[in-house]
Amino acid sequence: MAGQGTSLRVYLITRIALVLPMVFILLTFVFLLMRVAPGDPISASLGGHVPQPVINQIKHQLGFDKPLYVQYGNYLWDILRGNFGSTITDRRPVSDIILTNGAATLELTFFAMIVAVVVGVLVGLVAGRYRDTPLDVGGRLFGIVVYATPVFFLGLMAQLLFGSTLGWLPTSDRASPITQATLQTHTNIFTLDAIIDGNWGDLGDVVLHLILPATTLGLVTAGVFIRLIRVNVIRTLRDDYIEAARARGIGERAVVYRHAFKNALVPVITVVGLTTAGLLGGAVLTETTFNWPGIGHELVLYLENRDYTAVQGIIVVFGLVVVAVSVIIDFVNAFIDPRIRY
Amino acid sequence: MSPRWRTWRLAGIAAAAALLAAAATSAALARSGGTRTSSASDTLVDGTTDSVTNIDPANEYDYGTFTLDLLIFQGLYGFPHSSKLEPVLATGCKTKGTAATWVCTLRRNVKFSDGTPMTSADVKWSFDRVVKIKGDQGIYALLSNLKSVSTNGPYSVTFHLKSPQSTWPFILATNAGYVVPKSLYPADKIRDNSQSQVGSGPYELVKYTPGQQAVFKANPNFWGPKPKTENLIINYYSKSSTMKLALQRGEIDMAFRDFTPTELTSLKTASGITVHSGNGVVIRYLVFNPTRPPTNNIAVRKAIAYLFPRQTIASRVYHGFVQPLYSMVPAGLPGHIDAFKTVYGASPSVAKARAVLKAAGVKTPVAIDIWWTPSHYGDASADEYAEIQRALNSSGLFKVTLKSAEWAQYSASPGKRYNAFQLGWFPDYPDAEDYIVPFYQPDNFMANGYNDPKMTALIKKEYAATSTPARLGVIKQAQMLAAKDVPIIPYWQGKMVAVSRNNVHGIDSTLDAAFNMRFWLLSKS
Repeated sequence: MAGQGTSLRVYLITRIALVLPMVFILLTFVFLLMRVAPGDPISASLGGHVPQPVINQIKHQLGFDKPLYVQYGNYLWDILRGNFGSTITDRRPVSDIILTNGAATLELTFFAMIVAVVVGVLVGLVAGRYRDTPLDVGGRLFGIVVYATPVFFLGLMAQLLFGSTLGWLPTSDRASPITQATLQTHTNIFTLDAIIDGNWGDLGDVVLHLILPATTLGLVTAGVFIRLIRVNVIRTLRDDYIEAARARGIGERAVVYRHAFKNALVPVITVVGLTTAGLLGGAVLTETTFNWPGIGHELVLYLENRDYTAVQGIIVVFGLVVVAVSVIIDFVNAFIDPRIRY
Repeated sequence: MSPRWRTWRLAGIAAAAALLAAAATSAALARSGGTRTSSASDTLVDGTTDSVTNIDPANEYDYGTFTLDLLIFQGLYGFPHSSKLEPVLATGCKTKGTAATWVCTLRRNVKFSDGTPMTSADVKWSFDRVVKIKGDQGIYALLSNLKSVSTNGPYSVTFHLKSPQSTWPFILATNAGYVVPKSLYPADKIRDNSQSQVGSGPYELVKYTPGQQAVFKANPNFWGPKPKTENLIINYYSKSSTMKLALQRGEIDMAFRDFTPTELTSLKTASGITVHSGNGVVIRYLVFNPTRPPTNNIAVRKAIAYLFPRQTIASRVYHGFVQPLYSMVPAGLPGHIDAFKTVYGASPSVAKARAVLKAAGVKTPVAIDIWWTPSHYGDASADEYAEIQRALNSSGLFKVTLKSAEWAQYSASPGKRYNAFQLGWFPDYPDAEDYIVPFYQPDNFMANGYNDPKMTALIKKEYAATSTPARLGVIKQAQMLAAKDVPIIPYWQGKMVAVSRNNVHGIDSTLDAAFNMRFWLLSKS
């Protein structure tokens, strides 16, 4: 046990130590990509209206005419001090974008993952359990269709059907304009904020606005889980201990749901975790389709304007989140399965 | 069935039932009052695809922010009721001696939304800080002719200009001239969007969520007539298709900027919705570099001017929401003449284009690259430039290759890199001068290399003109010279378009050449 504990600690320390070079490479890559891409934020916002000497003067004021290595040094120094700066185009602190728009993405991701896990697990389990039956075929077809359908297309169809034709659900935004104007924001997670205030009308409005985007994103994500869980269930059902359980006379339902299923889910944890981390970076297409003001949506807007500070800051924070989540997942997996260690 | 399995099954059924109940309850709660469509008659909800940069008027130079600032701030002059320039915070401005000195008398009893009275000190402060801050949005360029501002008591301000400028009151109507309280706005830096913004306008900004929403309430200290709607919300959308759905569902009451021509055509027949359009001053034009081949040959530029398909662009691409434009100065503004129609005719003429190329000894077809940008000027740009290519190529006189680049790359000194390229313009102020001066000087913002001493002289003459008829006369001469030199081909003038649900009133009266959406004149029934 003492040997195992040491091994786990060493693994964790090594894993965390690897984060530093990963983050450094990410920071450098983002910096260079933004500088290499043609265009700059000043021309993007003022080009076509203001004389070039004025644009040059502003670039000089902001230091964009300094040597690249000077800009890089300043950039790294700011990051080290936790100063992600303010955007160039609208002077918004990057930390404010992370908190406000990040909260919107977190809310969408949370509910989308609920849909994805529930649908993915249910359909994957049934498909795996009833292999080569109509249920399996139906489940696999469903998984392929939702996985292959572009999320913006699925979202658009959902908006047209449920929003425009049937008129059942709102088609965009996090809440009705008046609700959003009057809701007291404590956490920027609207469902939580409405619950904190005990405002059930607002909560209903916010939940209604969540249904289409969360379901759309959840279904597309579920497509990955369905296939993965199905394969794992089939593989697990072939394992020796399952045969042994059957041989001991344990009922098929207990064999599947109490023994096989739990073990089939273990490899899925990694995928669920990494998918969640990926979505936290902003499901850009979903957010754009539903005008959901998440972090991916903001990232695209700032990219279009070549807003160096905004893009660098958002991607760095997102990178750190993904790195943190992957470290946690690696640790959990290493804890569960000691074979997965250095 | 084992007891544990039974427990899990019951738990699963209970969880599913709870989820269903929650969804049903939410829907019921929402319908009872939570899903607030914009039905309250004291609240008008507008949607837009514009975006906001800096609300502080010392550093904003884009139309989205301008629309927002128009509600909060005011200048000494403006367009509060129509496209006619009127004194607003001033009761009048007069020149003293030459048009290099302007003395303005301020309106008394004006208060900012925080209750503090406005005086000449605030006016001087506001102009001085724009010049000092030199914000990165470039609005300070509009005050490039301002030497200094002095005050003569609490209700009089004098502007000392570097050179005479008879259109100075128009500059006072731009956002560079918005007046802010000295006590709140720093002299040397911008007030952040996260901080309160205080002006003397009809509304005050009560909540601003970047990229999402701006919420306004009628300014209780406004010196003028109360806005017709107490509360106003501007909702920001990244896609016009989403905004269209929201409008059709009643989630918003109206939408101003910008639907695609196809969406507008669809909305024209939508139930419960009205598409309003009026005179606009936004223009589109094709710029040439007259110093590089093949566009350095004036015959090539003239031939393209003879072939330009203005009518088909207006009808087929924009479904009638723009009108053909025959001068950089849009129709409806004083001084406008259809210079290009006079010189090149109203419709394309292959015969005349061929004749001018033949007379110049130009071999045809002339190979030329024409550049455009996909998203900055709307989704119809692709169709617009495809139509231009079709018109030129089908004449047999040109072989056009279309090229495009995203705005961030495209916009940096396009004239230095491209021979022929697309641009658009909305004015700083709705006067013909703003459609001549920025384009035809040697150091123009397009950097296309155009340099005609005759045009430069006309511009100087226009600046120094002491009467409006004299000034407009010079502007007409400049338009004719521009048509003959043809460094730019103007081709359409946009209409000012807003779409609303049928219970919104007053929109038509605000669609004019001033291009101001005067939300304070709008109401809902």
